[in-house]
Amino acid sequence: MSHVSSKVTPWEARRQRPAKGKSGSKLAHESAEKHVLGTATYIDDMPELAGTLFAAVGKSTIAHGKILSLDLTAVRNAPGVVDVITLEDIPGEKDIGPVFKGDPIFADGVVEFHGQALFAVLAESFEQAKRAVLLAQVSYEEQPALLTIQNALQQNAFVRPAHSMQKGDAASAIAAAPIQMSGELYVKGQEHFYLEGQISYALPAEDGGIKLYCSSQHPTEVQKLVSEVLDLPINHVQVEVRRMGGGFGGKETQAAQWGCIASVFARRQNRPVKMRLDRQDDMVLTGKRHDFYNRYQLGIDENGKILGADIELAGFCGYSPDLSDAIVDRAMFHVDNAYDLNNARVIGHRCKTNTVSNTAYRGFGGPQGMIFAEAMLDDIARKVGKDPLDVRKANFYRDGGSTHYGQPVEDFFLPELVEQLEQDCDYRARRAAITEFNRTNRWKKRGLALTPVRFGISFTIQFLNQAGALVHIYTDGSIHLNHGGTEMGQGLFTKVAQVVAHEFDLDIDMIQASATATDKVPNTSPTAASSGSDLNGKAAQNACQILKSRLVQFAQQHYQVNAGDVRFINNHVVIGADENSAQWISFADFVTLAYQNRVSLSTTGYYATPKIHYNRDTASGRPFFYFAFGACCVEVEIDTLTGEYKVLRADILHDVGRSLNPAIDIGQIEGGFIQGMGWLTTEELLWDDKGRLQSNSAATYKIPTSVDIPAHFNVQLFDRANAEDTIYNSKAVGEPPFMHGIAVWCALRDAVASVADYTISPPLDTPATPERVLNAVMFCQQESKA
Amino acid sequence: MFCYMLDQLVRKLQRIPRTEFSTEIQLCRAVPPRIRFQGVQAARINRAVGQKTGVSVIRFNLNGRWIEDNKIDPNCTILKYLRTTMMQPDAKEGCAAGDCGACTLMLGEMTERGIEYRTLNACIALMANVHERYLLTPSGIGRAGQLHPAQQAMVDCHGSQCGFCTPGFVMSLANLYQQTGLHVRQSVLTDEQIHAALSGNLCRCTGYRPIIEAAHKMAALPACDVSEVSAHNGVQTFNPQSDVPADGSPAALQDVDGRRLFMPLTEEQLKALLRDYPDACLWAGGTDVGLEITQRFKQFDTIICLNRISTLARTQVLDEQLWLGAGVTYSQAEHELADLFPSFAQLLHRIGSRQIRNMGTLGGNIANASPIGDTPPAFLALNATLEIDGNHGRREVAINDFYLGYKQTVLQPGEYLRAIRINKLQSSESLTLHKISKRYDDDISAVMFALFMDVQNGIIKNARLACGGVAATPLRAQKTEQALIGQPFSENTFLQAANFIGQDYQPLSDVRASKEYRLQVTRNLLLKSYLELTAGQAGDAA
Repeated sequence: MSHVSSKVTPWEARRQRPAKGKSGSKLAHESAEKHVLGTATYIDDMPELAGTLFAAVGKSTIAHGKILSLDLTAVRNAPGVVDVITLEDIPGEKDIGPVFKGDPIFADGVVEFHGQALFAVLAESFEQAKRAVLLAQVSYEEQPALLTIQNALQQNAFVRPAHSMQKGDAASAIAAAPIQMSGELYVKGQEHFYLEGQISYALPAEDGGIKLYCSSQHPTEVQKLVSEVLDLPINHVQVEVRRMGGGFGGKETQAAQWGCIASVFARRQNRPVKMRLDRQDDMVLTGKRHDFYNRYQLGIDENGKILGADIELAGFCGYSPDLSDAIVDRAMFHVDNAYDLNNARVIGHRCKTNTVSNTAYRGFGGPQGMIFAEAMLDDIARKVGKDPLDVRKANFYRDGGSTHYGQPVEDFFLPELVEQLEQDCDYRARRAAITEFNRTNRWKKRGLALTPVRFGISFTIQFLNQAGALVHIYTDGSIHLNHGGTEMGQGLFTKVAQVVAHEFDLDIDMIQASATATDKVPNTSPTAASSGSDLNGKAAQNACQILKSRLVQFAQQHYQVNAGDVRFINNHVVIGADENSAQWISFADFVTLAYQNRVSLSTTGYYATPKIHYNRDTASGRPFFYFAFGACCVEVEIDTLTGEYKVLRADILHDVGRSLNPAIDIGQIEGGFIQGMGWLTTEELLWDDKGRLQSNSAATYKIPTSVDIPAHFNVQLFDRANAEDTIYNSKAVGEPPFMHGIAVWCALRDAVASVADYTISPPLDTPATPERVLNAVMFCQQESKA
Repeated sequence: MFCYMLDQLVRKLQRIPRTEFSTEIQLCRAVPPRIRFQGVQAARINRAVGQKTGVSVIRFNLNGRWIEDNKIDPNCTILKYLRTTMMQPDAKEGCAAGDCGACTLMLGEMTERGIEYRTLNACIALMANVHERYLLTPSGIGRAGQLHPAQQAMVDCHGSQCGFCTPGFVMSLANLYQQTGLHVRQSVLTDEQIHAALSGNLCRCTGYRPIIEAAHKMAALPACDVSEVSAHNGVQTFNPQSDVPADGSPAALQDVDGRRLFMPLTEEQLKALLRDYPDACLWAGGTDVGLEITQRFKQFDTIICLNRISTLARTQVLDEQLWLGAGVTYSQAEHELADLFPSFAQLLHRIGSRQIRNMGTLGGNIANASPIGDTPPAFLALNATLEIDGNHGRREVAINDFYLGYKQTVLQPGEYLRAIRINKLQSSESLTLHKISKRYDDDISAVMFALFMDVQNGIIKNARLACGGVAATPLRAQKTEQALIGQPFSENTFLQAANFIGQDYQPLSDVRASKEYRLQVTRNLLLKSYLELTAGQAGDAA
């Protein structure tokens, strides 16, 4: 008998009980114990190889203009400096635009935003590199910079052409409607503020290749770009990521540049190179959530029902396309949220500005569209003098309808979910109590809002909706799992391991997930669009099913039984139909036997999302496999003298289908809500009139702290199986709950509206800082005086 | 509050062979797993910062191991030392500016009550801070392979997602656990205690709810006393006054490549150092100057660390006045001001974070001369007297005369701020403070508003209004004050006086607020102060 690891619980003990940690259980995050000890290894925690050097980039000091000269003599002569590179030193492709070109690795003769990388330095220490980059002598011919959406619209400066979607005849419907109204909202963007900044660690590998550790949500894209930059076949580059300290979309495309620079240096010097952005560099050099400037014209009836809507969205893309085409599309897809616009025209502009190129961020444009839907609904409610919740309900889609991009409305149970939350959180009684509170309090006002979320699940770029997995079974019964998804804290590794445990009815401790690596599972999609467990869970399940069918086939032959008489139960394989005479073989013994009988115990799995299609030329199709639903009710209190406020209570009811892991799903919902709340309250991006980012540190950009969360914070799962065939009929959960934060903004606006007795819908651009809330209060005071 | 009792400590220590802690020298000889760096061979390490023997060496206890190193650059932060020299990456760098808390550690100090801990931001604290202290890190607080209750509760409550901030949260929670005595008796923590402990820890993933739940639940887990970890290889005997030379310039605690750090224990030593090094960087809490190193990558040649001078770190309640040493930390002051100046203590709860308040000092906040420091407006409203000392002798300056311009004060090279004196409030007097910022905790003020009032028989006898964030320095609002003084204490008086705010202040717009908002909210705060002073009306208090 060979040695069995002391970590492996005896199989006899495992037989007596159901397998632990299968899908549906509230399993802790696979790294939870390492997290609390600080021993979970992030890239900066890896022991540095001898000879490791450190890279930093030199940044432009203007927002737009020609580079006349770039004198790096003093940089090269600075203490500790080993190498300096500019664009000319890139051996292969110099443009690392992920979808469309336009992202030179260093500014290509022209500076396009303040802080753009001009060159990079390699030094013996991080500090030496950081000191050296400041010594560059650069002269520019400065040109006027586009710094606002409005400027870009006026000058027709776009990174991509506008796109429109249409349903019915919006113009006629609005003109014929009993009531016409119009409005606008400026929605600011958001800094990702992942706690772990961007980092790459490049090691020279065989045959001029690179082994790159990169904190990236999209290792395959980094691999491809590094190979292009180094002029290598893709198979010479391996990219690996075990975990990220947060991603939120900020490491979907924006990790690549640092990986490429580190790789170029590593090849030039044949030494390991670490490139880590400190917080300020990270905030200046990487893109953020897009600002949006949104305008609407509506035609409604006296009950507040929308008859027609003409909506124009304009995204603040920065200097290059990056992912902005798809992001503005997603904003357009979600500008209806849960409401039937009946007749609609939606136009989306991709504005070019001389700012950092904005990028993916949880929701991917969806939140900026969805908040505008909720703003419209609130405006309608004030116009017709009804409770906003009633106006929302009156405008909900119904099954059988269709969206402004032609997707049929199916399995739309959101009204039922909203009804349940309305009851659970006692909306009507609290509305009455708040009205009374506001009547009797002079300086404090309370607000209440209950808003729905309906978020489409799938990459809207169809080919990304695929995934691969790799599963090995070893002869002690332990399983190695790998898949194309990356772990950034969302618990993907835990969930997919639970799927594998579920398939074999094994304890979760027999499943070991390994770092995402381009040489294990190739050609992967980014871990984004909330798709991680949908795609990779299914791919892993597919791999398990292939292995199971091999094992069952083997057992049929070996034991001379029918396929139905081979079952995986309680960490064992049970052979035989009759309960009493069935033979229980531990999983370890069984797979050893299979191995000895020359059965392959390793396979890949694959999955491609069915049903989806979208024709961008006609702007119609079914871009989303299904929708995730939820609703959130928030109560706030504002101080009308200072604009300060407090979120008093939040109740969330959210649909994750049949949860793969309720603890992780609730964590995503709570965390998403607070991140959404931060986006709309305290987190404010600010550029000055020179295009310099002012909110460039944790001291000037304020994400929520523990005291900001509502004292009463209730999150419940709406337990209903996904009607579509997803992994165990679960639903994606990464992005949808982020948009529950919109309820905070609506509640603040409701409190402000009370100042004018709810007769006007106050302007409240986001984020609703105390300053903006006070301004809105003063607007209401003046309007109600007038 | 600190219920760590000496006798308990002694009992625990008795389990350790006596030779390991009975005397200093024996400790040095007997502790087996001592780590020595860079070939430090000094047989006798002076336990009072190296003055006697002139040996420049940092000596500290890391998770129970004693470590000595004489090659640490004075500019080296604790975080950098642990992550690079020690290759111990359990504390993380999230911002390198003391704003996110991912690097939070516990720093223990031997007192007559045993080892007392506080949290700090390792990213901006210098290694000198750990000299002769006990440092605990996330991987070291558990015992015998067990997780600390703060860690176990975090696992049980799903308190981590990406895990990067988690070690810092664990340390803040473990410190709260120890400080509130949960290791000796069970009790229930309030949400306020928890929020205060976590005010300097940012999490982007969880939304905090499970972390707060973990804080509540850790109290119910089997007890764990982290000082047993620190004491594992012996402790220092407690004798705060031993080996303190009266005067003279002490030897450098760190002396590497021409860069030196001094850690005087007395003001006499400080004065001697200021004579020798008048241009040295004076380092009190370091919560601001630390950023020079970590954000601007500056290196100081000479640093004089002020936070071991015991006379600067005490408070004295005099008959009419309160005397606050310039080295009193915000955390100390929160405690010391609670009775006499409750509104001031309340304000201190909102300055920085728990970690920052544990390091930052009142004197630093004043002498730093930032226009957005939070305590100077309060001290201006209280008409504080500043005691200045140094090579030109001792002098006193009214705080109103202290600031000359943006980041400029009357302090001369060779001088230091010694103490702040404020008059106790009479029954007719009040101090109203308001801090306006985007975020409630750990944010820099858009406006810091401080109003002192003396109201007698319905008439405002005296008023001093000072604000931060509205001018190049913290500044009194003299015209507004004049509009208040002598007038009836009425809403109308305050509304009228508010019209003068725009004459007193011409603020700028910046990342924190527009100039319009700063003026408007300052005007409104006058009214709000009146409402609070008159009513305590339900719903109308801040």
